[in-house]
Amino acid sequence: MVSIIPNVKEKTRKQYTGVSRGTRIMKNLTLILPVMVLTLMVICAIFANLSWLGLPQYGLAPHDPNKTAPRDKFLPPAFIEGGKSDYLLGTDKLGRDILSRVIHGARVSLSVSLLAIFITAGVGTMLGIFSGYVGGRVDGFLMRIVDVALSFPGLLLAMLLAVAVGPGFWTVVFALSVLGWAFYARLVRGESLRIRQSDFVAQARVNGASPFRIMLRHIFPNVVNSLIVLMTLQVGMMILSEAALSYIGIGITAPQASWGSMVSDGRAELDRAWWISTFPGVAIGLVVMSGNFLGDWIRDKLDPRLRQV
Amino acid sequence: MSRTILQVEDLHTSFYTRAGEVKAVDGVSFHVDEKETFGLVGESACGKTVTGLSLLRLLPEPAGRIVGGKIILNGRNILELSKKEMRAVRGKEISMILQDPMTSLNPVYTVGNQIAESIKLHQGLRDEKVTDEVISALRLLKIPAPESRIRDYPFQMSGGMRQRVVGAIAMSCRPNLLIADEPTTALDATIQAQYIALFQDIQRTTNVGILFITHDFGVVAKMCHRVGVMYAGRIVETATTSKIFKDPRHPYTVALINSVPRLEEKNKRLFSIEGQPPSLLNLPPGCRFAARCDKVMDKCREQQPPEVDIGDGHLVSCWKVK
Repeated sequence: MVSIIPNVKEKTRKQYTGVSRGTRIMKNLTLILPVMVLTLMVICAIFANLSWLGLPQYGLAPHDPNKTAPRDKFLPPAFIEGGKSDYLLGTDKLGRDILSRVIHGARVSLSVSLLAIFITAGVGTMLGIFSGYVGGRVDGFLMRIVDVALSFPGLLLAMLLAVAVGPGFWTVVFALSVLGWAFYARLVRGESLRIRQSDFVAQARVNGASPFRIMLRHIFPNVVNSLIVLMTLQVGMMILSEAALSYIGIGITAPQASWGSMVSDGRAELDRAWWISTFPGVAIGLVVMSGNFLGDWIRDKLDPRLRQV
Repeated sequence: MSRTILQVEDLHTSFYTRAGEVKAVDGVSFHVDEKETFGLVGESACGKTVTGLSLLRLLPEPAGRIVGGKIILNGRNILELSKKEMRAVRGKEISMILQDPMTSLNPVYTVGNQIAESIKLHQGLRDEKVTDEVISALRLLKIPAPESRIRDYPFQMSGGMRQRVVGAIAMSCRPNLLIADEPTTALDATIQAQYIALFQDIQRTTNVGILFITHDFGVVAKMCHRVGVMYAGRIVETATTSKIFKDPRHPYTVALINSVPRLEEKNKRLFSIEGQPPSLLNLPPGCRFAARCDKVMDKCREQQPPEVDIGDGHLVSCWKVK
């Protein structure tokens, strides 16, 4: 008798909500875990060291990420036999601390992707709203440029840029932004085209609002939802692209640590020191997955109609 | 005699489509006085809304264009104004209430914010003063508790309330002319009656002239002082409301009034006008109603009838009328 009652309860709840407890917990986890991971990464990026306060010796990273220690090279992580507790995730071929480099890499990787996302979102949104609002030939012309941008192989362009300008932080930001705006332009243009037809825009015109004002005050706030979704989903893509560029050596240059270049550094040593590539790789994976999960969650919350984006 | 706010003279508005020139408004003339409601009645696609949009110069571009005529508002021809000058006129001197209250408010702003927009655009007031103006606009539309309502979002309001907010936006700068494009169509009958009474009240306090676009003769009878009956891009008859109902002269007006259902004639089949209005792409040379008219003569098919004043501002375009 005693065991029947909780079962009945569980059953009715399932009937009412249509969702079992397991699914509910999973749904919450897909929000909580990504937020935790991303928060952790952001904290790492900000507090890797306190050089921005003039205190480079303090911070989350236990060591200077670029300090070499030839005697301590190829040390495995501390939890494996032969590891030193000083180097929690081991060291690379120059004796640099992997943990410190992953933490500092978060700063580089995240700032590159966030910068690129804000640049692309800004440019793409402006062009998209304008294109959709003005319509006609201007719209046709801008959208063909978007087509070209979307069909161009991004990696190839980035390589050309790296050759022309030389690799480095700003080259990566530029290489990621130069094509990325097209996604935003396409999405926002569609929304803008739809909102332009709406009665409240007509009403604004009747009230004497200028086209600029209509775009800024009436269309822009109504595309923000879709914009936030796309920006969140792009975090993963940008991190991956940055990693790819750094991996093939045209991104962030040595000795500065970025996750992509760290994976690349450990490639030759994979058979005897797997930890050099693995830990930055795990960091990339975690951030990309978190970004995607969070993006999906926001999309479902803000606008269920956008499921196909 | 009250002041004339709007004088439309021989207005021609066309749409240039792939199939050719569509003469949506073809030589329309009328005027609206202060404190007066002028009704524009006619079936769908007869050019009522295009006339309204022409007055604001907000035709869908680039297809729609005003090709001729004069629109004299407060003594100046607004067709000669620049785009920027026109923006200053919209919302301030002419305002318009659109048909559907559900969609003419921006979902992301509070209603207070939206009413404030046109006040800020036209009056350049300080923030506290703007709030006062917003509240007085809501009061004018008899919205209860305006001080707290200004913080509501459109989705928190009922359809009738939203329609009043739309009215408050239109009236916020106390325009001289208000164009109302079937504002009651989306409302149910009881709210409709309230809304009409409300506007009659507002007209008394603000002296606004109203151009009332509708296809509902019941609303015309309640709301309008004078009526223009439109058919295929032209006004065929203009008269005071009582004259239109008691002594309609144009066969189209007669037919229209006969096709309004009446309570006392229970078992009769509802009257309807045979045929269809002519295509605006390819208009007949004579009277546009000739093909459907029961009093048609040979002359009607050949020549456009002139507008004749039969006394007291009762204008009719028909060869039968002398």
